[in-house]
Amino acid sequence: MAPRCRRYPLPLPRSSTGSGSRRFISSPVDSSVAAGSGVAGAKGSTSKALNSGVAWYAGIRGKLYERKYGSDFYKWGSGASLGGVRHARVASMPAVGAKFDAKPEDCIEVSVDGKDVTVAKGMTVLQACEVAGVDIPRFCYHPRLSIAGNCRMCLVEVEKTPKPVASCAMPALPGMKIKTTTPLVKKAREGVMEFLLINHPLDCPICDQGGECDLQDQSMVYGSDRGRFIEAKRSVTDKNLGPLVKTVMTRCIQCTRCVRFASEIAGVQDLGVLGRGGAEEIGTYVEKLMVSELSGNVIDICPVGALTSKPSAFTVRSWELKSTESVDVSDAIGANIRVDSRGPEVMRVIPRLNEEVNEEWISDKARFAYDGLKRQRLNEPLIRREGQLEPISWPQALKTVAEAALKVNPDEMAAIAGKLSDAESMMALKDFMNRLGCERLWVEGNSEDTVADLRSNYLVNSTIAGLENTDACLLVGTELRIEAPLLNHRLRKAVRNSRAKVGVIGPETELHLKAEHLGNSTDILASIAEGKHPFAQTLSSAKFPTIIVGSGVLQRSDKEAVLAAVQTIAHKANVIREDWNGYNFLLLNAAQAAGLDLGFVPGSRAPVGDKKSIKFLYLLGADDLTPEDIPADAFVVYQGHHGDRSAYRADVILPGVAYTEKEGTYENTEGRTQQTSPAVPTVGDARDDWKIIRALSEIAGVKLPYDTLNGVRARMLAVAPNLFRVDELEPATPLPKESLPETKGKLDSSPFKRAVENFYMTDPISRASKTMAQCTAAYGRS
Amino acid sequence: MALALVRAAFNSIREKGVGGALRAAKEQGYLAALLDGNLGNEKFRLDGKRIGTDKFGNEYYEKTDGVQYGRHRWVVYKDRTYNASSIPAEWHGWLHHITDRTPEQLEGLKPKRYAIEHSRNRTGEGEQYIYHAKGHALNPNKRDWKRYEEWTPAE
Repeated sequence: MAPRCRRYPLPLPRSSTGSGSRRFISSPVDSSVAAGSGVAGAKGSTSKALNSGVAWYAGIRGKLYERKYGSDFYKWGSGASLGGVRHARVASMPAVGAKFDAKPEDCIEVSVDGKDVTVAKGMTVLQACEVAGVDIPRFCYHPRLSIAGNCRMCLVEVEKTPKPVASCAMPALPGMKIKTTTPLVKKAREGVMEFLLINHPLDCPICDQGGECDLQDQSMVYGSDRGRFIEAKRSVTDKNLGPLVKTVMTRCIQCTRCVRFASEIAGVQDLGVLGRGGAEEIGTYVEKLMVSELSGNVIDICPVGALTSKPSAFTVRSWELKSTESVDVSDAIGANIRVDSRGPEVMRVIPRLNEEVNEEWISDKARFAYDGLKRQRLNEPLIRREGQLEPISWPQALKTVAEAALKVNPDEMAAIAGKLSDAESMMALKDFMNRLGCERLWVEGNSEDTVADLRSNYLVNSTIAGLENTDACLLVGTELRIEAPLLNHRLRKAVRNSRAKVGVIGPETELHLKAEHLGNSTDILASIAEGKHPFAQTLSSAKFPTIIVGSGVLQRSDKEAVLAAVQTIAHKANVIREDWNGYNFLLLNAAQAAGLDLGFVPGSRAPVGDKKSIKFLYLLGADDLTPEDIPADAFVVYQGHHGDRSAYRADVILPGVAYTEKEGTYENTEGRTQQTSPAVPTVGDARDDWKIIRALSEIAGVKLPYDTLNGVRARMLAVAPNLFRVDELEPATPLPKESLPETKGKLDSSPFKRAVENFYMTDPISRASKTMAQCTAAYGRS
Repeated sequence: MALALVRAAFNSIREKGVGGALRAAKEQGYLAALLDGNLGNEKFRLDGKRIGTDKFGNEYYEKTDGVQYGRHRWVVYKDRTYNASSIPAEWHGWLHHITDRTPEQLEGLKPKRYAIEHSRNRTGEGEQYIYHAKGHALNPNKRDWKRYEEWTPAE
């Protein structure tokens, strides 16, 4: 594993710069500050248990661990329970002194409010204040963006300087005496606040940012109770940024965070500043949509209500919401999210800080597809009688399915797990089908003959955060921006920070980063493998070379040859080493990695290929099969939460639950196990997916040996222990060079196909979402 | 006034005898009026000045001379089985000395856009007249807490 060199302008670890003013980031807890990691973890879990108010929930969440700072690898809470407390290290406690990593010789000493603190060279005054535990108000400063220094809210007094200085833009110097509590500082900030409020409308009561607005919060401290401004306030025309981001530009305070986000993080040069002084405006100059998969993040970084969520405009106030920490399942990255719900409906989804996965960004699909959770839902068991689907009771539905399954020869059965399946239900389905004698199982996104023998062959081995270190990257058969926007952002960081060279073999796509399109043909791949192509040289001379292979490759007939060629390149360019494994296989769906770890792949005796022989098909939320793929005489069971494509073909429909309604284990594409939490109740008569399969197994006479969630997890522990270690990254052991498999078959020269037809509509939830439909209309396939 | 009533009572007794007079008094509502002052207003206070009539037919009277202040306005209900809530809001104000102006005089103050017609309290007159809160099971417009649309297979 390569050393993590975080490439930021300043050497302060970003996880340590969370402050009270950031609304969705819980600040990290350092063990030394929070009086021991156990205490920090215990606090986190107690509040969680109190919030849920359910004893079993507390029991399941009883395991405590503190990965980064704790001395013990695991700490077990009261009672032997399975599952884990998540994010003990980002427990909800304020930062008491940010931490940083630097050698002593790279440190300087400054004084903040009379307290001497040691900070790293190159840190700003604001960061030095954070190290000292002093919170500085700010609007334009954002730790992940470049420094603008234009809001002037962070003014502090430095001894021997004539004027207050903007702390975010002033480097800390040895011996500097910083004062943050003097009357001068207070007066300066009050002056800044008064200027900001001159042109800020007084529409907090109808503003969607109300209650979580930085300007509102800080005006409580530095604002005056009356204004001296009697002239007309300025007003600014609202801009149309597309169906996701609502703009009320009169509220804008010109902090330029969104402009810097667009150009630095999203990689689109759509936003800019026009005019100056009182005429200054943020806009797109010409009427233009902001086209980026990460555009929704400008809503979070906007400190005021200028940029808010268009789909949830005027529907919700921040204090009405119940927050549930969960994990996104719209792609294989497993971004950490917070599901905000009111009563039985999900009102919004916003990101949660996790430096190793999504930092503080999520894709637009993760953020805005939630309205699909309220549409097209399956809420009662249905059975097809004379071509019509009719409601039926659960016992009858299960009995029908069991009878149909027992009538069929095990060789003629198959089960497909859908994109959003959790590990628990896949475990139960695998056990159930195996007990019936069927081994023909696969997860959507994998091919029907996928092998899961080598874990390093199907994971992003460099890790998502580790991709930032790469200096040469070859993309094979993947449209990274569309398949995994957050991974594309990491690669973009590598390109921006260390001029990493990116070569693309596959469909030509705008990646919003500097990349060389080498062609869309396996011939290029072969020539790199043979070392003839110039990019082979680029890869071999790189220190941290990476290769990213897209899942779309699995759908090719010559996939073994393609993967063998990629392996050859990997070994020739020294991509897989003791300290660095840059061979990355990018999965497409949230269920894929866990499914592969659980062995949800066809067994050795399973017939491959010919789907015509299938007489009994169990679809666990799988919707990718076309009606032509399913034989007309097959008995199709669809278990899922949305009436999507396959529901029309189903003979029996068993209503399951969506990811916001269950506690499910998911593994992301780098092998990190994470769990969702139930935020809203299930709909209608739907049941937890693993429970449905468990009940079905009993009726079918092959009773599964577990009847609690912990029981399923104990079974998972036996099959794939890493799925039990929640929030842990389980790296794969790389394949040694000597065991390179014989190349089977030949490369055929057909071009790589797109794996994702439309970024905004990939799964049943996003296909049911009106917002995603609007995005498709506005942006096309993106 | 009172003399005329007593004379009429004696005449009635003379003509019909005591039993017959009582029966007649009962039929005409005089006995009930003895027990209920609101009905008594109709039978015994015949010297008031009629001020107006509301839409239910209740009549409003006033007599200022020689009457104790506070007892100088009264209502004569249309029905003997009267309901005090049948007095509209605008007459209620006049009757209870909240205002000295009659509803005709206050017509201009009546809200045009959102004012609804007065109706009397119908408690005990049937299930359909009972008000149920918006979450009540018997409210026909009971609030629906279902926040999702179910899938209906398009045939």
